[in-house]
Amino acid sequence: MEVTNLSTDVLIVGGGLAGTNAAMGAAEKGASVVVADKGNINRSGDVGGGVDHFLAYLNQDPEWDTQDAFLSYVEKIGRGTGHLSIIESVFCAELPDAIERMARIGNPLTQPDGSFYRTGSMGQPGTYWINFNGKRLKPCLGEAVRKLGCTVLDKVIMVDLLTHQGAVVGGIGFHIRTGNFYVIHAKATIIATGNTNRLYENPRINPFNTWLCPFDTGDGQIMALNAGAALTNMEYMRMTLLPKGFAAPGFNALVGMGGRFLNSLGEYYMEKNHPMGNRAPRYEVVFYTLEELRKGHGPIYIDCRHLNDKDLAHLKTTLGYDKDTLPDYLTQRGEDLGAKPVEITVSEGMQAGPTEVTGSGVKIDKDSASTVPGLYACGDAADHNRCAHGAVTGGYKAGKSAADYALGLKHADSVPPSTSREEINRFMEPLNRTSGYPYRQIEDAIRKVMAEHVGPMRSEQGLKIGLDKLQRIEQYLDEMKADDLHELMRSHETRSILSVGKVMAHTALFRTESRNKPYHHRLDFPDTDNRKWCGLVVVQKKGHEFSCSFEAVP
Amino acid sequence: MLNEKIRREKMPPTFDMEKCSGCGTCDDICPADAIYMKTSDDADVPYLKYPEECWHCGSCRQDCPEGAIEIQFPPDMLSI
Repeated sequence: MEVTNLSTDVLIVGGGLAGTNAAMGAAEKGASVVVADKGNINRSGDVGGGVDHFLAYLNQDPEWDTQDAFLSYVEKIGRGTGHLSIIESVFCAELPDAIERMARIGNPLTQPDGSFYRTGSMGQPGTYWINFNGKRLKPCLGEAVRKLGCTVLDKVIMVDLLTHQGAVVGGIGFHIRTGNFYVIHAKATIIATGNTNRLYENPRINPFNTWLCPFDTGDGQIMALNAGAALTNMEYMRMTLLPKGFAAPGFNALVGMGGRFLNSLGEYYMEKNHPMGNRAPRYEVVFYTLEELRKGHGPIYIDCRHLNDKDLAHLKTTLGYDKDTLPDYLTQRGEDLGAKPVEITVSEGMQAGPTEVTGSGVKIDKDSASTVPGLYACGDAADHNRCAHGAVTGGYKAGKSAADYALGLKHADSVPPSTSREEINRFMEPLNRTSGYPYRQIEDAIRKVMAEHVGPMRSEQGLKIGLDKLQRIEQYLDEMKADDLHELMRSHETRSILSVGKVMAHTALFRTESRNKPYHHRLDFPDTDNRKWCGLVVVQKKGHEFSCSFEAVP
Repeated sequence: MLNEKIRREKMPPTFDMEKCSGCGTCDDICPADAIYMKTSDDADVPYLKYPEECWHCGSCRQDCPEGAIEIQFPPDMLSI
């Protein structure tokens, strides 16, 4: 095993949409940058294969298309889940530059004729979704990052952060093909590892058949937590509606273009249940769909038969921008959106932000800084970023802030500790075991427990039993066996997944109310209590224990 | 063993070896780390080492310079 030592101003953990924008932000400030990703930054992360939507207000209508109207919308659908002042700083203030940057790198948000194609859904007061062809977005960003002179470590998984005198000073990772270790000393480190998938039992059999990237496993959030950082909004279990056998994104395209939710009795149930009908906030659509299924009104369908030919053609095209292979899937399954309703279902759960505009993960301030010096966060791994729009804006913001911090540090203060061979060997242990459990066996047990006890119907008793079972599973982590470096990577992901599950159960127990149901639905506290619980559950690690506190959102 | 063979050959993506030039782009960019190269008859060819871990993101098909990659979904995804 070789060990490579690197030194940089800014280390970015994760090179997805947020991480690559962070790299640009830091490099354009003049900082040296290392970005490490388990995959190749040209195709990694949630939007590696493409994306079709970006949320923005464009000041084209005084009623709804302004910053004030947008923030009112955030407050309405995400009350108590984010500070508007932070969202204003990491999203609103960055938005004009983000839109310009996407054009500058070669993947503009506009249509070929230069116009914006806009749709509305998910409780929006107007048409905040910009539809665009983002299939080349990651390759363009990857090239932009390399052109700026950043050191790109493709196929390198980061497994721990380095700390020194209470600050984060870099991280350790290994190359998943060569086994080469990297010890990276950095003045500032940015977590950009996305949300946590592969966490709940998957209704489509294969745990990798997930709505969002199955290789996002909460690694960064857990590394940050272990380094002393606070996380928030970790109790929320996010779900959506998906085509029955294929966990492809596309919900916003289907609803944005006018798709209607239909039950097996032939009723358009959202139109009956919610004043905004099919365009209600996502969590409300999931909630009422679960209700329909419970009442025996399933299966559930999305009906697009009423759309005109032009809108149908746009819908089919944009679905393929969001998930390259979704059109293939629908064709091979014999579906035709214009001819008959398509069966859909509720997705697996994931740990992610409670709305499209408020996030979960590392607690950040207006400068994207965590509660630990030297550590920043962005994208779905940060608590005030979400989705493509949050990754592009908040990523760049985190990059700029981390660069400012790094370039302002006095060198004499920060002599990083050396990392011993023994410490490094610890991360390779599953490879050296001659007997043990494959990661998949451990993960399957985690997913089962999460679905049964930490799912959309929570109670004190159930959550406590869930925690007990997760702790039981934890005892087997040190008996995981990996046959190769690929499995070693997955074994590290399994550790993160289990930790995220435990954090979710703890924070869900702490919040004795329900909020954004079914994302946090306590059957023993079914109401939303804004007098007591309008705010964030903040979790930190004290020794081996988790400690929860409450931070009000005025 | 036969089941294993069917699993590997019938899971997406599939490689058309007539068109494949062995350039390794798919191996390089696959975010699942599912595609590897191997030597077969003195030529470098891609194979799907971890078929269950494919996320069907379509990156390999989009980036293949020879158009040698197809996506054929397996029965469990098409039937349930």
